[in-house]
Amino acid sequence: MSTSRSFDQWRGWLYVAPTLLFVGVFVVIPFGQLIVMSMTDRSLLGGGKFIGFSNYVRIWNDSGFWGALLFTVKYTIVLTPILMILGFALALLTADNTPLKRLTRTIIFLPVVIGLSSSSLLWFWLFDEQVGLLNKLLVDLRVIAQPMVWFASADLAFWAVVISITWKVVGFGMVLFIAAIQSIDREILEAAVIDGAGYWKRAFLIIVPLSRRIILLATLVSAIGSMLAFDQFYIMTSGGPRGQTFTAVYWIYQNSFVSFRLGYGAALSIVLTLIIFVFSTLQIGLTARSEAQ
Amino acid sequence: MSMRRTCGGLAAMLVASSAFADLAFADTMTMWVRVSGTNAAAHLVDLWNATHGDKIELTTIPDNQMVTKLATGVQAGEVPDLVSFDLIYMPDFMKAGFLTDLTADLKANPNFNSVAQAYKDIATYEGKIYGAGFTPDVSILIWNKDLFKKAGLDPDKPPSTIGEIQEDAKKIHALGPDTYGFYFSGSCPGCNIFTTSPMMVAAGSKILPANGDDPTLTGDGVKQVLETFKAMWDEGLVPKSAQTDNGANFTAMFKSGKIGIQGCGGFLISDLKHDVPDMNFGVTFLPGVKEGQVSAFVGGDVVAIPAGSKHAALAKAFVAWELTDEAQLEGLAKNNILPSRPALADNKYFAADPRIVTTAKALGIGYVPWVYHFADMVNSDSSPWINMLQRAIFDGDVDGAIKEAREKMKAIAAE
Repeated sequence: MSTSRSFDQWRGWLYVAPTLLFVGVFVVIPFGQLIVMSMTDRSLLGGGKFIGFSNYVRIWNDSGFWGALLFTVKYTIVLTPILMILGFALALLTADNTPLKRLTRTIIFLPVVIGLSSSSLLWFWLFDEQVGLLNKLLVDLRVIAQPMVWFASADLAFWAVVISITWKVVGFGMVLFIAAIQSIDREILEAAVIDGAGYWKRAFLIIVPLSRRIILLATLVSAIGSMLAFDQFYIMTSGGPRGQTFTAVYWIYQNSFVSFRLGYGAALSIVLTLIIFVFSTLQIGLTARSEAQ
Repeated sequence: MSMRRTCGGLAAMLVASSAFADLAFADTMTMWVRVSGTNAAAHLVDLWNATHGDKIELTTIPDNQMVTKLATGVQAGEVPDLVSFDLIYMPDFMKAGFLTDLTADLKANPNFNSVAQAYKDIATYEGKIYGAGFTPDVSILIWNKDLFKKAGLDPDKPPSTIGEIQEDAKKIHALGPDTYGFYFSGSCPGCNIFTTSPMMVAAGSKILPANGDDPTLTGDGVKQVLETFKAMWDEGLVPKSAQTDNGANFTAMFKSGKIGIQGCGGFLISDLKHDVPDMNFGVTFLPGVKEGQVSAFVGGDVVAIPAGSKHAALAKAFVAWELTDEAQLEGLAKNNILPSRPALADNKYFAADPRIVTTAKALGIGYVPWVYHFADMVNSDSSPWINMLQRAIFDGDVDGAIKEAREKMKAIAAE
């Protein structure tokens, strides 16, 4: 009896061993090294004297980092609802499997498979004052009198990036939501129709509640992705004008690889990880509570 | 007969064994070069490979990854035999001990004496020399002669002071709303240290500090140049898109034929000749505030031997060879690339185009700042240098911008 239980325990460990090994080698050990590095003055050019929590004290006084973090939070708060609402609306419109709707969602999904750097470069030129097609379109439609320099103002640059990212990733949420909508039992929807529920009632009182798990998952993935934004700002705004569009990750990159301060960059990364961890835990906790209710 | 046959056989064996020895003992060196220096480096490496038994294998590294690659390579003991990189990293690399001391070899090399002084300065650390000029570039002022003519200006008389740039720019902009007098990339720190800082240096200013106590942004030159740029911006002599240009349009605007004057790199000459062969343009030194003040920023790549190179002796032979007349003229000048020895500017390949001769001579009058943390002070997107330019030119606060940049640069230099 006891031998059998012991064998079962070992077998259990054996099953999870590959995953534990993978996570250990590629997550736990590097993260441990990151923590150690964050307590040194390690530069890309060498060194690495232990300096305790000095890097963390420096972060506290680094207005550049807090400014970048605040900008990142603003970006996340603005972008996430846009992606969720637009993605869900598109899913509602294209969830049925007719040929036209299948074609429509394929077209909407296409930008998802383009690399983020490529799409950012594409939009950078689309917004260009001299040769950008978007400016030409807006001028031809008489929306604006003359071409705008989108990246000269922090607000316009912000919206330019939001537009480009919405185009790039809205299809991903849409596909997730379509899967959720299609998994709803048709009988429930048919019963609602028989009971006289109109389209909007069905959408808000049946489809949305039954898709809640996917909506919350998509929100979490989208919010974390936005908190880690880098490529789009690196390519489209270069952090400008006057450093007003630096994101937290961009700031970490600047410190680690442009200013060579690897130790400080590691400390910034730890702080950002903790912030994202706290937000994610809160979000998952709220999800669990709403599920229970 | 038998004797003759034996001798013949021996001779044949000797020739064969010598050829075999060449093959058997020929080595292959590895060399890293950053993307923007690849074209020029490839010409030199091809010439070396064609004329030497030992070969070089060239590996291209993205510009922004070179520091990381070399730093991690040195620390892991996995380095190339030769490396060609942006010269501004030289002080940091020398201090970090990444490079091999070449003092004895280069001091004994007669060609080294005539290398542009800026390359010698930037490659010297605590009296020792760690590298040599390799594939140079230098900043110059370029003007569109066709637009000058249309604006009623003398097409053969370039502006010789920053004030004249502004005056000429006004007349050119008067040709029409889509024609602009002057251009600079307002969000590109690297472009501006290359083309704008020499105007300040020509006027007697010192830009960057080597340490926390070093004078920084000194003299009236900085203020006068910034005020002139601001005035040109306010008067609409510069396209609006310049404010956000991070370097993507650094050369494209001038190629459009709608820009009268621009600071730029010598590389633009061959680009223009290739892309817009009908454009009539001139090249001169970047001017300062007063007549006769000129300067240039010496850029491009240096070649060095990383510490831990497996073929250090052979790599030293390459460094010595690339300074010879053969390499400088047949490898570089023949391909419209500047030699790192300004004395070779007057050569048969450049004779047909005096603009290239002017550019090559700019190497001789140019400067390069010997400072640590150059990337932090200048090249970074959040650097004090680019913040100063933007705050002064686009926001109009010239004094505040200089004061803030001076403090931040000193703080960085003190690290």
